[in-house]
Amino acid sequence: MPKVKAKRQSVSLDMTAMCDVAFLLLTFFMLTAKFRPEEAVTITPPSSISEKPLNSKEGLLMVSVSPEGGVYLATDDQMAREFMLERMANRYGIAVTAEMKKNFMSSEIVGYPLGAMRQILSMKPSEAKDKGLTKGIPIDSTNNELSYWVGYAKLSNPELKVAIKGDQNANYKVFADIVATLQAQNINIFQLVTGPENKPK
Amino acid sequence: MAEIDSSGGGKKDGGKKRSKKMSTKIDMTPMVDLGFLLITFFMLTTTLAKPVTMQLNMPDKTDTKETSPVKLSETLTVCPDADKVYYYQGIPTEAGTVMQVTNYSATGIRKVIADLKAKVGTNFTIVIKPTKKAKYRNLIDMLDECAITNNKRYALLEIDPDTEALIKRSGK
Repeated sequence: MPKVKAKRQSVSLDMTAMCDVAFLLLTFFMLTAKFRPEEAVTITPPSSISEKPLNSKEGLLMVSVSPEGGVYLATDDQMAREFMLERMANRYGIAVTAEMKKNFMSSEIVGYPLGAMRQILSMKPSEAKDKGLTKGIPIDSTNNELSYWVGYAKLSNPELKVAIKGDQNANYKVFADIVATLQAQNINIFQLVTGPENKPK
Repeated sequence: MAEIDSSGGGKKDGGKKRSKKMSTKIDMTPMVDLGFLLITFFMLTTTLAKPVTMQLNMPDKTDTKETSPVKLSETLTVCPDADKVYYYQGIPTEAGTVMQVTNYSATGIRKVIADLKAKVGTNFTIVIKPTKKAKYRNLIDMLDECAITNNKRYALLEIDPDTEALIKRSGK
């Protein structure tokens, strides 16, 4: 009986096709990539059937709510950011050094009480985040710092649109507090940021 | 490994003379490595689902202009809770007011709203009073239901003690 001989197969295989696919995918992802903006906390917004994309030519003031109820503020308007820092520091008598300003401008997000501002801005934004110092802006009725931040941002650029991005598991009460704070400043139109969802038939 | 081999072999002839036929074998391994590294990077950093927004208009508190009252019979009050929705028609303090409960599914609150809207007509108004236990998601779900059922008339209010008492009384 002839033995079935296992043929010695070449270990070299043609990877050209695989390369083609790989680079095709690479091109696709590179072209569609839109970098995730820096987030102080991970927020998963709830989904809605709304189809309006989130964009604003006039600038956007984003109030984020973490699952634990921390409130964070971000804006894409650089002028307003600088203005906010100056006014807030002025209000609370904090001397802003060039380094503090650099750290403030390089971090997208404000999320700490004014009392901790000096400490946080003296370190790099990522460092402050790692140390867990960015717990949110106080919005209690006794110490409503969010109201000042928003007030100054609006003063710098009255056209800023206010968007609220809440985590789906954030408590409704925080949202109600934010809306009340903003309404006290006569801001009555909010963009609620949500994930997309298919329309039911 | 990955290589293009189209050479006819350049060294067969022997001799020192550099032949024009250079080997076209290229080791593509580093290139492929880099390619996959980049793919991984872009796949992880990309966000395909772009966020969308729904606009919420709240009434101007400084506006003292008298608004037209809505009829009780044309109003539905919903109280989104953590995993269920309470709803009632009428005044919470009245004994005749019945608190009912349903869920967020298509056959739940959506059906309630759609049925009532069909009965009442264009003046149908939804009053949303989220309970203390409600999550942000529940509010968005509720606003979404209003959008799905094509209701433009809705108001977002704080929950009042009367409504809370009614929920408690209903025991649901």
